[in-house]
Amino acid sequence: MSEAYADAAVSAGAPQAPARVFTETLLSVDDISLSFGGVKAISNVSFDIKQGEIRAIIGPNGAGKTSMLNVINGFYHPQQGRITYRGKVRKKMRPNEAAKTGIARTFQNVALFKGMSTLDNIMTGRLLKMKRNFFWQALYWGPAKAEELQHREYVEHIIDFLEIQSIRRTPVGRLPYGLQKRVELARALAMEPHLLLLDEPMAGMNVEEKEDMSRFILDVNDEFGTTIALIEHDIGVVMDLSDRVVVLDYGRKLADGTPDEVSRDQKVIDAYLGVPHE
Amino acid sequence: MLYREAGQFKTTYGADQAIFPIPQDRWVVYAVIALAFVAVPSVANEYWLQAILIPALVFTLAAIGLNLLTGYCGQLSLGTGGFMACGAYATYKLSTAFPEMNILIVFLLSGIPAAAVGCLFGIPSLRIKGFYLAVATLAAQFFLVWLFNRVEWFYNYNPSGTITAPPRTMGGFMVTGPEATAEARYLVALGFVALFALLAKNLMRGRVGRAWMAIRDMDIAAEIIGIRPLTTKLAAFAVSSYVCGVAGALYFAIYLGSVETAAFDISVSFLVLFMVIIGGLGSILGSILGAFFITVVPILLTNVPEALGLPIGVALAKQLENIVFGAMIVFFLIVEPHGLARLWQIAKEKLRRWPFPY
Ligand SMILES: Nc1ncnc2c1ncn2[C@@H]1O[C@H](COP(=O)(O)OP(=O)(O)OP(=O)(O)O)[C@@H](O)[C@H]1O
Ligand SMILES: [Mg+2]
Repeated sequence: MSEAYADAAVSAGAPQAPARVFTETLLSVDDISLSFGGVKAISNVSFDIKQGEIRAIIGPNGAGKTSMLNVINGFYHPQQGRITYRGKVRKKMRPNEAAKTGIARTFQNVALFKGMSTLDNIMTGRLLKMKRNFFWQALYWGPAKAEELQHREYVEHIIDFLEIQSIRRTPVGRLPYGLQKRVELARALAMEPHLLLLDEPMAGMNVEEKEDMSRFILDVNDEFGTTIALIEHDIGVVMDLSDRVVVLDYGRKLADGTPDEVSRDQKVIDAYLGVPHE
Repeated sequence: MLYREAGQFKTTYGADQAIFPIPQDRWVVYAVIALAFVAVPSVANEYWLQAILIPALVFTLAAIGLNLLTGYCGQLSLGTGGFMACGAYATYKLSTAFPEMNILIVFLLSGIPAAAVGCLFGIPSLRIKGFYLAVATLAAQFFLVWLFNRVEWFYNYNPSGTITAPPRTMGGFMVTGPEATAEARYLVALGFVALFALLAKNLMRGRVGRAWMAIRDMDIAAEIIGIRPLTTKLAAFAVSSYVCGVAGALYFAIYLGSVETAAFDISVSFLVLFMVIIGGLGSILGSILGAFFITVVPILLTNVPEALGLPIGVALAKQLENIVFGAMIVFFLIVEPHGLARLWQIAKEKLRRWPFPY
């Protein structure tokens, strides 16, 4: 177990470890509203994500968390609002363009390439970084081969990091759910993202798997310096992992602050206990 | 020697990424290639070459082409016959317009118009999938056959409407036209299959193949890793149609020698699709197995009962053939979508463990 995780585990409930301080804003969403026909999925939500932090997005079912990630990585285009990424206001873009700017993500329901092995799935994360053209590829020789091997080496590094060496050659469809989630994280990491969006990375996992996943998330943040936005229902995990938390409810922002502040917020407590809205 | 991997440790990623990482496999493949190039032409008679091996090789090439699109990129196509016709008519036009052009170059160029047409008919794939896309490619099939039939320029205003391959040489040997020996034509077909199988395999085990398979398996996830569905699908249509076009060129100039548009009708599209399904979707080896299987089975069905003293007649043999193919397609679609190639792999896995049950 890494020290970072040990610290975090101990800190749950115990006096908070000194908060990490982040100054530079990586991404900010301003006054975002998104609706599908009559359904308002997000209403006037603003928050920011600082370079290097782990930012949690929480809220009850249907609060608009996944929709928010979809807005950030270009699947949904909000009717209103503005996204600023790395200092620039971002134009409307498709997910593949967002990927080019260094945004990677995992899905709430695992979205792996079922017909491919673990290794190939992770190698797809390197696609944008591979430059050799078609003809070199068809020859699989010289620069194309060198490039392939160089990326294989990077991928092996991630495989070691996430401790999935033994399933390298296994078709991902045959893996248990927990490992599939881990492979999906590996694929996202292979992109060397600036911003990693994780949609419920621990859903459906047992305690042990959750601990592993928490440790990986902390290590990714620590070793690669990747900024992480994380949706998670398990409040214990959120308290342990995140630097700051934004709480959504019925598409609106309810609270925003450190885990401590948020957990003491009366509106948040009400929302989670299901106190009816006035 | 037992078929084992134990004790063979790969020390580089290069060795691990090889097409045949197990040395025994590699030697078998080299042996098969050597046999095919050297032994077969000197042993096989005219009937074997013309009735079995040449068509099987030409269809192997077409099956590789379709497998790239349908098996690897997940885009169902029923336009194979039409794309093959593009290659055949391009070969005819090029070789009659430029008689001094080397026929090898002609074959390679003939794939280009097919690729362009494939790209064009691939555009709907950006919006539609599966069954509806199949219908769109079916339109390509009918349109192309109609076009080559209707526009006389394509067959040089020949009143009979047929195109005939002019006699051409390759390295001093006659390879097309009535003078070309079956051996020479066999070797040309074999050379093309060997070359394209290798190129296709290389393409599919690298970046391009992974992008196509990503689109096939889950296009939403493909987009978030930076793949552009538009260019990726069109590239798959272009490459696939190129290979089918070259296959069509060989089908015309090397196998049949003289054809009408009827030779490229919808039944050809289905035949190649069956080869891919029975052989194995998403497998180059499967394309080869499927094409040989579908070419050989009808011949076995006519000849084996006769050899056993049970002459069943041509009509019955044809019926049997339809029943066998139909049953196999249903079997493979339901039970083993990865086809003969997968059965082969399972057999190898069993062999690796033999004589232990697991
Ligand atoms: N593509 C869509 N079309 C129509 N409505 C949608 C769509 N996507 C989301 N919604 C609606 O937007 C609202 C927010 O959904 P979202 O998936 O963002 O919630 P969530 O916070 O991720 O919930 P959960 O915790 O269950 O994952 C829901 O009412 C949902 O039905
Ligand atoms: Mg969600």
